Amino acid sequence: MTDAAQGAAEDPLVAPAGEMSVSLGQAALTGLRQPIVAILLLIALFTTISGKPLDGFLMLTVATLLVWDAARSRLADSAGSSTIRTAGAWAPPAPAHPGAGQGQPRGTARSSKRRVGLVLAWLTAGLLYADVVGSFKRYSWPATASVVALGCLMVAVGWQGPVRLRNALTGRPLRRARLWAVVLVTGGLWELTSLLQQPHLTTDSYAHPTISALTDPLLASHPGRSVALGAWLLIGWFLVGR
Amino acid sequence: MNSRDGTILGYLLVLASGTVLQVLAIRSPERFPSLGRVFTHVMRTKTGRVGVSVAWAWIGLHFFAR
Repeated sequence: MTDAAQGAAEDPLVAPAGEMSVSLGQAALTGLRQPIVAILLLIALFTTISGKPLDGFLMLTVATLLVWDAARSRLADSAGSSTIRTAGAWAPPAPAHPGAGQGQPRGTARSSKRRVGLVLAWLTAGLLYADVVGSFKRYSWPATASVVALGCLMVAVGWQGPVRLRNALTGRPLRRARLWAVVLVTGGLWELTSLLQQPHLTTDSYAHPTISALTDPLLASHPGRSVALGAWLLIGWFLVGR
Repeated sequence: MNSRDGTILGYLLVLASGTVLQVLAIRSPERFPSLGRVFTHVMRTKTGRVGVSVAWAWIGLHFFAR
């Protein structure tokens, strides 16, 4: 079984081969049933009512695009154009050159140098970004535009799907991955509890500070904002490499 | 300990739990997955990849964008 087929088999949203015609509503439901869509819609709701309509709008847009993408794929599947839709499943890209990556010492050295150069270029760009955007006041339009642009770029890159083969977790590590889910969900719920105990959703509470309220002193200065942006970029770099 | 300290302690406990899990994963990778491996697993699919990318973007928006 190919990776793409295996991915499709694991994904309950993939239409089985030979499925009969699907209505537009059923196709849309396929997209709406994705857990990530529900999570994005919840984030959109909470961010909007807590005074961040732009965040909410962007989350809503991504959720809508995910639903549309899944529905389109489901309709295409039912039309018989493909038994494996693209959303949720993927196929590793073909190598750019046949034999690429095979032992060629000179080519490897050149490729290594090129990679170092590329890393240095990205590092310089990241430092510049953190310094320049950190010089803008929080919630100002220049800061908003810079962060939105990079965020959209990251989502667009993510939309292309994984670019290389990855090993799936299996057995005990897979079961214990739930521990990470427990930690992350607990953190999220703790933050939500603090948010709901504020006098108003848009007014911080001293007694029940959210992470945003706790980081306000750090983000009040240019160096603090630059450091935070640098950390955000590093996390993004880490994620792109996954 | 007042409410503020309790709230901050909660965040620190969550952070400490994550740190312990990561240390366990480094010491016995055959038993515990690291956060990196979990993200790799989640990001195998397009929806997982988009979801994590959006979460990352949201953090930036939340702290810096209006």
